[in-house]
Amino acid sequence: MESMIHDMAERLFRNHVSHRLREDAAAGQCPDALGTLIEEAGLNMALVPEEAGGFGVPAAEALGLVRISGAHGLPLPLGETLIANAVLASAGLAPPGGMLTIAEGAALRLERRGAAIHIRGPLTLVPFARWADRIVTIAALDGTDHVLSLPVKDLALAPGQDLAGMPRDDAEVDLALTEADARPLPRSIGGMRGLGALVRSLAMAGAMETIVKMSVEYANDRVQFGRPIGRFQAIQHYLATMAGETAASRTAAEMAADSYDTPAFALTVAAAKSRSGEAAETVGALAHQVHGAIGYTREHALHHFTKRIWSWRDEFGTELDWTTELGRAALSSPRDRFWHFITDSTAQGAPA
Amino acid sequence: MNLTAFPPPPPGADYDELRQEVRAFLAEELADFPPEKRAESWNGFSRDFSRKLAQRGWVGMTFPREYGGHARSALERYVVSEELLAAGAPVISHWIADRQSGPLILAKGTEDQKRQIVPRIAAGELCFCIGMSEPDSGSDLAATRTIATRVEGGFRINGTKVWTTYAHVADYMILFCRTGKSDDRHGGMSQFLIDLKATRNIRISPIIDMGGEHHFNQVIFDDTFLPSDALLGEQGEGWSQVMSELAFERSGPERFLSSFALIEELIRLLRKEATEAQQAEIGRLSAHLMVLRQMSRSVAGMLNEGKNPALQAAIVKDLGALYEQDIPRLARSLVSRPAVPGGRDSYAAVLAYTELAVPSFSLRGGTREILRGIIARGLGLR
Repeated sequence: MESMIHDMAERLFRNHVSHRLREDAAAGQCPDALGTLIEEAGLNMALVPEEAGGFGVPAAEALGLVRISGAHGLPLPLGETLIANAVLASAGLAPPGGMLTIAEGAALRLERRGAAIHIRGPLTLVPFARWADRIVTIAALDGTDHVLSLPVKDLALAPGQDLAGMPRDDAEVDLALTEADARPLPRSIGGMRGLGALVRSLAMAGAMETIVKMSVEYANDRVQFGRPIGRFQAIQHYLATMAGETAASRTAAEMAADSYDTPAFALTVAAAKSRSGEAAETVGALAHQVHGAIGYTREHALHHFTKRIWSWRDEFGTELDWTTELGRAALSSPRDRFWHFITDSTAQGAPA
Repeated sequence: MNLTAFPPPPPGADYDELRQEVRAFLAEELADFPPEKRAESWNGFSRDFSRKLAQRGWVGMTFPREYGGHARSALERYVVSEELLAAGAPVISHWIADRQSGPLILAKGTEDQKRQIVPRIAAGELCFCIGMSEPDSGSDLAATRTIATRVEGGFRINGTKVWTTYAHVADYMILFCRTGKSDDRHGGMSQFLIDLKATRNIRISPIIDMGGEHHFNQVIFDDTFLPSDALLGEQGEGWSQVMSELAFERSGPERFLSSFALIEELIRLLRKEATEAQQAEIGRLSAHLMVLRQMSRSVAGMLNEGKNPALQAAIVKDLGALYEQDIPRLARSLVSRPAVPGGRDSYAAVLAYTELAVPSFSLRGGTREILRGIIARGLGLR
C-alpha cells in the first residue's frame, strides 16, 4: 500500500530511533524530543476523523503507523495515543494534545456526584504512564460505557517496567471528573482491551518483520565452516518458518485493523492477538538461534525487538484469554456448522 | 517485494449471494453423504457430481465465455472452492483441470487445443492428471528423465512417471518431460497434452497408499507416439510454464481444509459440553483458520490482478500443511475416543481416515523442505 503518512513515519523513525535511543529509554530517559516531532508531524491524530483534526485516511492506513512503530522498536506510546485520541473523539471530546496512553478500566468504580463523576480504583501495568499526560480508559456507569480522560498528575503512580524496560506503571485513581473529561460512548466498543490488543498485534507484526530482516542479514554475513551460515538448510528452514509466522501475524493484525469499528472486530481482534502472540514465541526463539551468542548480548540490537514482542503478547489479553473467548464464541455459535461461523467471523458487515 | 505482506482481498470479496447458492446446492446434493466420505476431502471422485456442479456454472468459472467458461473472477471461484472443500464434496474429477490444467491450456495452448479441450473441462466432463514426479525425480524436478524424441509427424516418449494421482481414471495428462539436452538444468524441458483414452503404449498401474486407497499410479511410456499437436506451449519452455502454475496449485483452500471433516466432527462433540481448556484449543484452531483463509484469499486477489505470487503461495502451503496435519493430534488431545477405520461412530471413522491421510499433506504439491528453501531464497538469502 502506497501511503504518504507511512513514508513520513518511516523517515522520521529511521532518522531518530537508534539503538542508543532505545538503550537510553530502557534506562529511564524519556525521548521527549522525538515525542514532540511525532506530535508536530500530526501522527498522533491519524485515527481521528478529519473534522476533528485527522488526515482523513482509512482507519487501516492510520493503524499501519503502529506496525511501523513496532518495526523500529519505538520507545514511545504512539499506538496508545492514536487509540486514545480516537476514543475521545468518538465520545465528542476534543483531543487534548500531548502524549496519551490507554488502560483497561474494568476495575474502576464510577459514581455520579452532582455534575461530576467520581472515579476510584486501580489501573495496572499502564504503558508509559509516567511519561504520558493523560490515561484514557473506558468504564461503565449505570450500564453505559464511559470514556475517561485521567490527568496523570492527579494520580498516584507506582513505577514498573516490561521485559524491554519500558514503563508499565500501576496507578491508583481517586478523583472527580466533569463532563469535559468523562463522557458516555455513543455505542459500546467493547472496552479498551480489544483496542489495546489491536495495537499490540500490529506492533508485534512490525517488530517481527524487523527480526526476520536482521536474521536474514546475519545469516548472509556470518561465515562458519567456510560459508555464510544461510547456506545451511537448517538455517534456511528456521528463516522460512519465521517468515511464515510473521506473515500470519501481519495478515491477522491487518484483518483486525480492517474491521476496526465494525461488528466483526470482536472476533478478528481475538484471532489477531492470539495468532501474533503465538508467533512471537517461535519467531523470537528462532531469531536467537540464528544469531548465536552475539544476539544474546545487550550490545546487539536484537534483544530490543525480541523483548518487546514477548512483552506485548502478554498485554491486553494473553493468547489464553483471547483463544478462550474465541473458542467460546465458536462453540456457542447459533450457526449449525463451524464453517459458517468462520466465514461469518471475517465477513464484511458481519453480525455483532 | 515484501514477502510477509499479504494485502487484504478486495472489498466485496464475500460474494454472499453466490455463497448461499452453493450452500443450498450442497445441502441438497450431499444430504446423505456421510462424514467418512467427506473426510476424503478433495480426493473424493464423482464424475456425476462434477457434471452437476458444471451445470450450475461452477466449473471453469474464470475461463472466458468463448471457451465455455463464465468469465468470473478468481475470488468468486474461491468462494465456490472453499464451500466445496468445507462440505467435503467429491471434487477431484474436475479439480486439477479447473485449478491448473485449464488455465495452462488457455495461457499456452494453441487455438485448436483451447477449442477442443477447455469447453469440456468447463462442462465438468474431463478429469486431468499431472505427470511430473519420476522414480529418480521427486523434489528434484530438474532430474526428470522421461524424454520426448522428435520423429516423423510427432514425438516418441519413453520413461516412467509415479505418484500420478487418478491417472487410472483421467481422460488427459499434462506430461512434463525432456525434449532436448541442455547445459542449463532447467532448459530442454517441455509439456505435452496427452489424450489418455486414445493413446497407445501407455501402461498405468496402481500404487496403493498406506491407508489402502488407490489414488496414485505408475505410468510407463514405452515408445509412446504423440502427434506434433500434443505439444503444449513452446518446446523447451516447460520449466517456466510449470513454475507459472505453482501459485495456482499452492495457495488455494485445499492447502488448509483437507482435515476439515475431522474439525466438524470434533466440534460437534464439544458443542454439548466443553471445559475452558477445550474452548481455548478450539479458539486457537479458529484463529489459525481465519488467518490462513485470509492469506489464501489475499493470494487469490493477487492472482486476479495478474500478479505471480508464487512465494506467498509457498508460505500459504507450508503453514496450511502444518495446520491440517496438526488436527488429529489436537482432536486426540481434546476427546478420548480411539480411531476406528470404517467404524460405526463417525468421529472414530473420520479420525482414522484423517490420521492416515495427513502424512501426505506436506509431500504432495511440493514438500515442506522444497517450500522452505523457496521461501528462504525469496527472503534474500544469498
